[in-house]
Amino acid sequence: MKKHLKVILLTISITFLQITPSYTNEDVSQSGISYDEIYDPIEPINRAVLNFNFFIDDIAIRPIVKTYKFIAPDPVEKGVSNFFSNLKEPIRTVSFIFQGEFYKSFNSIGRFTVNTLTSLGTFDLASRVGMEKNETDFGITLAKGGVSSGPYIVIPIIGPSNLRDFSGDVVEYFVDPISNNVPNREYIAIGSGLNERVEIDEQLDKVRDASSDRYEMIKSIYYQNRNAQLEEEYIQNLPVPKIYIE
Amino acid sequence: MKNFVILLGILFSFSNTEASEVSEWFEKESNQFLEIINNNQGTENENYEKYKHFVNKNFAVKSIAYGLIGENIINKSSKNELSLYLNVFTDYLITTIYKLANSNTSSSITLKDVDVKDDIYIIKSEISDNKSSANLYWKVIRIGSSFKIIDVIVENTSYFVTKKSEFNKILRKNRGSLEALIREIKKI
Repeated sequence: MKKHLKVILLTISITFLQITPSYTNEDVSQSGISYDEIYDPIEPINRAVLNFNFFIDDIAIRPIVKTYKFIAPDPVEKGVSNFFSNLKEPIRTVSFIFQGEFYKSFNSIGRFTVNTLTSLGTFDLASRVGMEKNETDFGITLAKGGVSSGPYIVIPIIGPSNLRDFSGDVVEYFVDPISNNVPNREYIAIGSGLNERVEIDEQLDKVRDASSDRYEMIKSIYYQNRNAQLEEEYIQNLPVPKIYIE
Repeated sequence: MKNFVILLGILFSFSNTEASEVSEWFEKESNQFLEIINNNQGTENENYEKYKHFVNKNFAVKSIAYGLIGENIINKSSKNELSLYLNVFTDYLITTIYKLANSNTSSSITLKDVDVKDDIYIIKSEISDNKSSANLYWKVIRIGSSFKIIDVIVENTSYFVTKKSEFNKILRKNRGSLEALIREIKKI
């Protein structure tokens, strides 16, 4: 039954992704990517979910994060962050194989081996010996395979995503060699999620009231960061203003 | 062939001179910016004035402001409306930078690289304090004899792109009313 559910979920996702445009045609950058109007057909629902997420963050997650940051010394914080990042190396290895990036795939599994054997992943020795970390995930794999981003969605508790990236997350959940082979994988998922929240705590505090429309701002930031992972010359290709005499 | 090599040499040395000029400008201005960030013992007003001076001197405020609303809105707005918008936006830009940069930690900015594309200099730098560091890109153009910043990109997030999304949303929601946008900006 579980297997059937996976197949159905994947089929629906991929079919939907292929027929939905990721952007409308306004203000396209030099690389052809539009940042102006992101395809967002369920905006009212997304806005409600975002408000819900901020509410939950305010009353539950933020206090935990602040307390943790207050108590934990910086090296401990760094160690925990490294630990969770290291757990993702095997799934990165798989993603890179699907992308045809075999060197990066070897690098990822090498990093996992080195860091796990030397410090259970809490210290990133691999980077010190020249095995730099490369970020990727199944959403990126789908994008590189030509799947469009589909509609923007805000997922309860988790946050901003789009149909393609969310589908990638679902696939990862089922195929991740680590979480599929440990008991109580939910704890790892919660720990990893909290760690990601800790990592963006300062930025989140700064942008909380810095915008006239935080929904739009978060959406834009999400897409910019995802595009940066996909485009070679992302910074160069970002749209710039027309010049007026000052 | 020889002439071609000479021409290439001249072009290369020209672009090198340009790049070193912009690097020099950047070193000077980023040091000044750090001085403002790291010496925030004054009153809030005094600190704000320092940021204001820095933004007015180094940012292509009009280009950014007009770029954010687009030509359609510019063409259909009156001179007074545009002038009011420009003033409100300038204040908004200064406040944003002030809020983001004004902290108690001492920071440093290191110049990493300068790239040129379509007459736009892309300066790659790194801002760091004792806890963390982040990539900071500055898109700069030459206007007359000086350089002006047209966008700042922290890690992968561009100020111009992010604000354009926000402003467009407000404008669309209010049928292109610049007055409504000004009201929204003033609220922050």
